[in-house]
Parts: sequence; structure tokens; C-alpha cells
Amino acid sequence: MSLKRAWADDSEIFRHRRAAPIRMWERVLIAVLIFLAIQSAVYFGAWWFQARNVSSPALFVLLSIATWYGIFRMFVGWYNLFHIEHPEPVEPPEGLSVAIFTTSSPGEPYAMFARTLAAAREIRYPHTTYLLDDTRDPRFAALAEEMGAVHLELVGYPGAKAGKINEALKRTNEDFILVLDPDHIPFPEFLDRVLGYFSRESVGFVQVAQAYHNPDESFVARAAAEQTYTFYGPIMQGMHGTGTSVAIGANCTFRRTALESIGGHGIGLAEDLVTSIRLHAGGWESVYVPEIVSRGLVPSDLGSFLKQQLKWSRGVHDVLFHEYPKAFLRLSLHQKVSYFMIGSYYLVGLTSLIYFSIPLLYLWIGEQPAAMILAEYLEHAIPLALLGLVIYRFSQRWLCDPARERGWHWRGTLLKIGAWNVFLRGLWLALRGIEVPYIPTAKERKFGEFWRLSRMPLTVIVLSALTVGIVIYRRLFILDETLVRITTEATWAMAGFLIINSIFMSGRLWAAWQDREHREPEE
Amino acid sequence: VTPKRLYLTAFFALGWLLAIGVAFQLGLASAVASAYRRAASKLDWISQRASDAEGAALTRVRQNSRRDYLEPMRPVLQSVDALKNPPKILFGAYDGGFPNNTTGFTTLESQLRYRFPIISFYSAWGDKPDQQFPLRMVETIDRLGSVPLITWEPWVTDFDSRARTNLPSKTDREYGSLAAIAKGEYDFYVSPWAEAAAQFRKPIFLRFAHEMNDPYRYPWGPQNGNRPDDFIAAWRRVHDIFQKKGATNVIWVWSPHISMPWFEYYYPGDHVVDWVGIGILNYGNVASWSRWWSLHQILDKAYPTLSKFNKPMMVVELGTLANGGDMLAWYQQAFYQLEHTYGRIRSVIFFNQRADVTMSAYPLNWTIGQDPRAAEFVAKELARLSAQ
Repeated sequence: MSLKRAWADDSEIFRHRRAAPIRMWERVLIAVLIFLAIQSAVYFGAWWFQARNVSSPALFVLLSIATWYGIFRMFVGWYNLFHIEHPEPVEPPEGLSVAIFTTSSPGEPYAMFARTLAAAREIRYPHTTYLLDDTRDPRFAALAEEMGAVHLELVGYPGAKAGKINEALKRTNEDFILVLDPDHIPFPEFLDRVLGYFSRESVGFVQVAQAYHNPDESFVARAAAEQTYTFYGPIMQGMHGTGTSVAIGANCTFRRTALESIGGHGIGLAEDLVTSIRLHAGGWESVYVPEIVSRGLVPSDLGSFLKQQLKWSRGVHDVLFHEYPKAFLRLSLHQKVSYFMIGSYYLVGLTSLIYFSIPLLYLWIGEQPAAMILAEYLEHAIPLALLGLVIYRFSQRWLCDPARERGWHWRGTLLKIGAWNVFLRGLWLALRGIEVPYIPTAKERKFGEFWRLSRMPLTVIVLSALTVGIVIYRRLFILDETLVRITTEATWAMAGFLIINSIFMSGRLWAAWQDREHREPEE
Repeated sequence: VTPKRLYLTAFFALGWLLAIGVAFQLGLASAVASAYRRAASKLDWISQRASDAEGAALTRVRQNSRRDYLEPMRPVLQSVDALKNPPKILFGAYDGGFPNNTTGFTTLESQLRYRFPIISFYSAWGDKPDQQFPLRMVETIDRLGSVPLITWEPWVTDFDSRARTNLPSKTDREYGSLAAIAKGEYDFYVSPWAEAAAQFRKPIFLRFAHEMNDPYRYPWGPQNGNRPDDFIAAWRRVHDIFQKKGATNVIWVWSPHISMPWFEYYYPGDHVVDWVGIGILNYGNVASWSRWWSLHQILDKAYPTLSKFNKPMMVVELGTLANGGDMLAWYQQAFYQLEHTYGRIRSVIFFNQRADVTMSAYPLNWTIGQDPRAAEFVAKELARLSAQ
């Protein structure tokens, strides 16, 4: 009874939600907006690539790569948006045999499992819940029994979570397996909303939206959640429309025969992505259900967030370099593009580095990539930027929980830019083939690491301040007067970019500052 | 849905899309442009204040600023009347790299141990932002303590046909362009330019449509059906607009090509001209049409005619290449002649272009500094003449 009260939260946030349907006029409007946006990009590009805009050719190439890589991603995003589809709900037949796998590792909090297992018990469609446990903690076995779950003692299997899943597959025989992350609290209708799609024999896995119940816990939690809203909203819905929706670690339901056809669940830091690329390459189809049927925890302290980002960056690059080429020929055209876009997402670390370096390079050595006239730049860039924002906001009508998720997502953007060096490190580790040990995403806040976590943003800010100081000194005492008077605008505009960079860094700094002192983790 | 109906729907949808797209681009682009124009004066104001603050700090911490060096000449350089009839020869310089790259200009000044009271640059007509009144440039020159000389070139094809529907198409525009200016077809451009020049308030030398009598060079030349009367009428109209806008700070430099015949027929009149400008560029032996000519050889024949206008003369472009002769001797002779033979010349602007490609396939080097002996001689002459 007491346990039931602990999880049985009937507050409004734990209710089932489905993204708003797509109407005809919305499709037409999206088509028109995308048409205008592409035209604006052509307008911008025709102006951008002119010899008279070039100052230092090498830097211009770098700046062009960074800028047009971003625009290219926007293009693909719009194409995806154009293909948004929601699957028609299908009532599942009675009598399917279904397993729910949830894994536990040493150090994960007991209370979390109590909550999740109790909620799993309440899922309406008949199923068996398995706790895949390597904690060697007798409390966990007892908890499983109490919650009517089967306890599987799985100690010492390599590959962490995926290793345990594969071993559990051998010991069980259900036809459908829902892999439920232990921090996620499923709603009673979970299985009813996904199992029906398996009546099509070609469907290998069904993914649902991931949503969170703790975004209000901290700045980081809010930012991390903001980074996911659009993905589980319009992006995955578009991917469903092009047959490219992927499995995302938690809350994916697999057909046993599909998993067995590829030798079990994929292993690695991006094991979910490995699994889905292999299933797609094996000809299995995927379904994305734009519904919230569970809510979990999003990292709420900077350390866990960055660890998670490093893990993903390393893992996703690994998929790009190793799994993607192997699967390439067997993927559909849409899948080829889609997995490339996912695989290259974290290259944003590289483009951030380029953007950061440009003002520094100008102020240190006087080289700048472009000699553009501000008025012309604005005239050609603003239509594209404006349309990008309009489309972004318009597509938010298909978020799974628009009331909570709609917005400019500035926290998410700040923290994404603030994590650039982590993305780069992930790329570097993947290129060198250096393993990152499997780090489970922390489910509690960690504190007291201010200096370690703020080293990078502080470095950027101090470097910027130092550069501005040196620039002032040189202009006052050393540089030729004519040069000083002529370069006032250019110099202080570049110094302005340094300030903007510092503001971008301040998001991560603020997050680290909030985590500076130890607080008791909430149970 | 029949294929025909589908085809028709797609056809009309595409048409509508294109129409919406074109309207969107044109509308938004012009909205952004006009918003920018409104914001531009504020941006200018901000950068002015920033530059003023920086300049104030600079003069506080440095002993000899360029402006301080030119301080003794301040009374002359601030007065339009004095600049129309200067007590001493006024020297100036044009540098090809300026203002994007100041190395050439500062090198020239340090080699000559001199700070030029006049800084010359070129500005073309057109719709682009950098073709409007070069406020930032003249402000900077003013802060450096000098007076700007703007060569103002009516490249009428640089106006956007979409936005300027009253103008003929670009291919038809160059023919008779001076008559069109005289008729007022380009007042839309001249008026705001004149207004901005008036707002600057400090003196500006303006050399409009130079070398108008040379049929081989610029589109406003006689090869495009521009007759002397057209030039005079265009000049007067432009001058008139400047007067109406109150741009009395502008000093007018009429500057024909003196090696081409009949330049005197292009003279717009005593009441609208303040200076007579001439170009003295010795191309040496780089081209079939050129030989090593001294200043005297270039100027001698035209000088009596030019003198008849009874205006002070300005060598707006003075320079020699090193190809085919001795630069030191050329400058020695030039300075001697300027002082003793051509007393009406009251201003000389050095043409310090390091890589000039306007007249040849390979870049020509007009810098004095390429010959240290010539530079040393000119430095001493400048010191001597300014001490007088």
C-alpha cells in the first residue's frame, strides 16, 4: 500500500497524450513555408559565394563549411517535416505474449525501481515484467517478488545493459519485448498503444515518445529536456513518414524474431542506434507512436548531462564510422540520409569551434574570413533566418505535449553550444578508437564539481577578456594611429562576437554554479 | 483523381508558389533594406561615439598623434575659403589599399616623414550600401586630421533595374548618361548624397566625373554620345543640388584628361568650379602608347589653356613607374618644375598604388617607396616646402 502511494501519482503530468493530428491546410502551409525557405537559402547562397566577400580564403572556406553545414541540416529537417505522418492507432489482439525488461546496475537507487516496477505492474495489457539485475543486492530480488516481477540474476555479462538483455532473451520466450528504462514510469495504457502495430508482420520495433517528469528540477534538467522536445515531436514523426524512425534506448518495443535475426540487441555506447540500423538494414520496418505513455528522468546536474552527451557523441560517431558503412547498401535512400544526419549531428562541436575561433583569429593575427557588408549580409540572411524560426515554431504544434514543450528552447540551445568540447571529445575518441567505459546516466544530482565542470567555459571567458585587454593595450600604445582609426568598427564588432561567445558559455557556467554545493539528493 | 486533374492542380499550385515566393523575397528584402537604412544612422552614431572615445583615449596616452602633427595647418584645413586658395602647396596621397589595408599608406607617410593634409579615395555611384555617401570614411579621415578628396564616378549601370524602374535597362543606360543626369534622372541618388555631405559640414574636395573627355576610359566619356554640353549641364545640375541641400562645404574639382584634345570645351564655368584637376602619371615604357615622360612633357602643352580658367590647379594623381627611367631624376625634375614653372599648381596628391591593374594586364607599381633615393628626396622636399 505504502509503495503504491509512492508512485501512483495521478497528477496531470502522468496522463497519456498524443500529438495533435495533421490537417490538410497545415500541410499546405508547411509546403509553402518550406518552398519560401529553400528559395531564401538560394537567395542567401547566391550572395554568399562571391569573390568580393572573401577576405582570407582559407578562413572563408571554414566559415562557409560551418554556415552551410548548418543550413544543409535545416534543409534535411524541412524535407523531413514535409513527410510528417502519425500512425493510425491499432487495437492489439488479445493473447500476445509480452515481456517487459528493465535493468538495474549497482549504485542505482532502490526507490526508483520500486516506483517503476509498481507502475509496470499496473500496465493493463497482460505481460510479464523481468528485472535484469546485477546489483547483488537482496533487496532488489525481494522488491521484484513483491511487485510480481520475475527477478533474473545476471551478473558479469559484458556489454552492460545490452549484454543483460541478450542473456535475458535466451532465458525467456515472449514474442514481444518492451525495454523499459528503470527511471521511466510507464502509464497503464502503454502496451495497448504499441502492440497493435505488430499485426503488420514486417514491423520490427515500435518506439514511443520519451518524456520527462523532472524538467522543473533544475536549469540543466530543463535545458536537457528542451533538447529532446522537437526530436520526439515533429522530427521523429517525419522520420516515421519516411520509414526511418529509430529506436531510442528506452521505451522501445521489439519483436523477438526481429532481434534474433540480427543476433540480439546491439552493444555499444549507442546500442539503441546500432540495433535500429541493423534492423532497418535487415529489412524490418519501424513505427513511431507520437504519444506519451511514460515519463522518466532527464539529467538534472551538469556532470551527468555532460557524461551522457559524451557517451552519445562517442557512440553516435562510432555508428557513423563503423555500423553505417556496413549497413549502407541495405538501407533505403531515406534511411541512408537519415542515419547520416544522426551520425553527423555531433559535428556541431567542430562548427562551434570554427565560430569561436573567428573573432580570436582576427584580434590576434588580423585575419578574417569575410569582407562582407553588414547591410548586405542582413538583407540576404534575414529571410532565411526568419523562415527557419517561423517553421520551427509552426512545427511545434506537433509536439507531444505542446503546453509544456512549446517555446524558444533557449536553455537547450545554450547548453548545446556549451557542450561543444564534449562533442569534439566524443569525435576524437571515436576517431582514435578509444573506448569510453559504459557510464550509466546518473539518476541523481551530483554536486560539488564546480571547478571541473566550469573549466572550459571559464577558459573561453578568460581568454576573451584577456584578448580584449591586449587589444585595448595594443591600440592605445603600439599600433599605428591610422590603422587604429580605420579599424575601430571591425575591431569592436569582433570584440562584440567575443562577448557573445562568452554569453553562450555563461549557460554552462550558470549550470555548474548551481551545482556547486552539496545538497541531499531528493528521494 | 484523374491524371489530368492532378497535372492541372500541380501546375496551378506551382504557379501560386512561385508568385508567393517572388512577392515574399522582394517584399522582405526591401523591408529589411529600409529597416536597415533607418537603423544605419543609429549604427553610425554608435560607431562615431565609440571611435570618438577611442580617439580621445589615444590622444591622452600618446604624445604625437597624427592630428597633433597637422595642428598648425588646422586653420587652413577647417576653412572652405582657405582651401579654395591655400597659402602653401597642399599635399595629399591616395593609397590603393586604403582603408582595408593601411600598411601602404602608413609606410608611405613614415618613409616620407610626413603626414598628408589631404587623403584621396574613389567612390562609385550605385545602389549598394558602400556606394552611398562614405560617411565613415570621411569621418575617419577627419579624425586623422586630414581633409578628404573624393573622386566621384557616375557608374550608372550600378543601379538596380528592379528598384529603379524609371531608368532604362542597363545596356541602354550608359549611352547619353550625362544628359540623363542633367535631366534629373539620377536626382534620387545625388540628392541624399548631397544631403549627407552637407551634414558632414567639414570641407570635402569633390572631383566629379573625371577625365570626361577621354573616349577610351570611362562610360561617361564621349564614346557614349556624351557631348561637352551634356557634361556641363550634368555638372551644373549636380552642383545646383548640392547648393540647394546646403552642401557649401564641398569644394569642386573639375578634372579633365589633359592629353586628350578639346578638354577646355568641358569647362562648366567659373561659378561652379573651385579647382582645376590634372593627372600626371608617367607610364614609362610599359605600353606601346607610352614613353618615359617627365611632368613637364605631360603638362607643358595643356598648361596655357588650363591657366586661362584662372583657378588654382591640383595634380590629383602624381606618380611615375620605375620602368624605363630613373625615378629620382623624375621627381627631382618634377619638384623643380612645380616650384619654378607651374606656379598655379597649389596642390599635389601622390598616387601611391602598389598594384594597379586598370590599364595593364600585370600590376603596375606606382609607389615612391620602391626607390629609396626618390623617397628620401621627396621627404626632404616636403619638409622644405612645408617649412617655408
